Amino acid sequence: MTSETMYILAGVLLAALAMHRLCTARDALARILALNVLSVGIAMLMLLAGRVAGVTDAVPQAFVLTGIVVLVAVTAALLSLAERISGGDDD
Amino acid sequence: MTQLFDALLAVGIVGVAVAALFANDRFAAVGAFMVMGFLVALSWVRLGAPDVALAEAAIGAGLTGALLLRSARRLRVEPKMCQSRWSVAASGLISIGFAGLLYAAITSVPTVPAYPPLVAERLGESGVSNPVTAVLLNFRAWDTLLEIAVLFVALVLVIVVPVSRVRPAPLGEMVVPFAKVVVPLSVLISGHLLWQGADAPGGAFQAGAVLAGGGLALVLAGAMRLKKPLQGGILRATALSGLAVFGAAAVATAALTGHLLGYPDGQAKIWILGIEAVLTLAIAATLVLLFHGSVRRVPK
Repeated sequence: MTSETMYILAGVLLAALAMHRLCTARDALARILALNVLSVGIAMLMLLAGRVAGVTDAVPQAFVLTGIVVLVAVTAALLSLAERISGGDDD
Repeated sequence: MTQLFDALLAVGIVGVAVAALFANDRFAAVGAFMVMGFLVALSWVRLGAPDVALAEAAIGAGLTGALLLRSARRLRVEPKMCQSRWSVAASGLISIGFAGLLYAAITSVPTVPAYPPLVAERLGESGVSNPVTAVLLNFRAWDTLLEIAVLFVALVLVIVVPVSRVRPAPLGEMVVPFAKVVVPLSVLISGHLLWQGADAPGGAFQAGAVLAGGGLALVLAGAMRLKKPLQGGILRATALSGLAVFGAAAVATAALTGHLLGYPDGQAKIWILGIEAVLTLAIAATLVLLFHGSVRRVPK
């Protein structure tokens, strides 16, 4: 099994496990965390899809970089909404 | 040998992800998530994508981990509802199907990708020699402009939704000496990443994330007080300057060359560095504000 295949399997497993957690979790924090894991798995697959003869394509790399930054923005927005729903009652 | 390393790393990533997803304790889950981010970054270095690896380590693991830890204490813990066995089974089936589809999709990708020859052909006129920076700030600069717009929208949302703000508990006597070392270092590393992004791994996003790390150290040490109008105002203005300057650059290039973000001949490097320098500060300020949250009080 080549290194690429191992990382493809890791990416697929991350995405699938996160999907399962996303469907079954009740806790907002667990769901947001699962969304992050899902996106890491997909990013791994995107990088591997653009990899030929030991070189990773620059265009998917730029997409993944954009995705990482968008994801942190989405995570911050979701967490602040979740805190609002939860009451933010530690004052 | 390297294959053994890759195998161990892949198994490690999946193992830590399972711990992050299924741990009962929130802090253990977030800790495992951060370890997963660093392991994934390591695997991306192995895959020859150091730019993305840097971003994942700094933003994906570091800052997202900090955000999750911040909220872990604030969010109410949902009572563990007894999931019906059927819904768990259905979700498992969906996930297995999803995994199969993903695997089929990834293995059916054509083996000759379309982009590398195009990027290599035009790299000379992009003004930079790092192909990832060339794609981000020249060939697909439009995407990056929209990405900054997404950061802006998230920032507006976080500012208008008032939640209890971060109140750093006293961290002991070591926090100020720690900040004295970490903050100048973060400024240095960030400047280095910004400058070398033109021809080596790095760039505005990695540099901004590292600078934001230094900013968080200042906030947690109590040295940066964002509820003070002046300090908070400067930080918000810096955060907004990213979208403003990038948008103005897009309009200016459209006026000069007739193409949105088509830089004038021979001047691409100056334009790219100028935009990236502003973006670094703006991204750092945005990330600190996203962590800190609204400066307004929760209405009672």
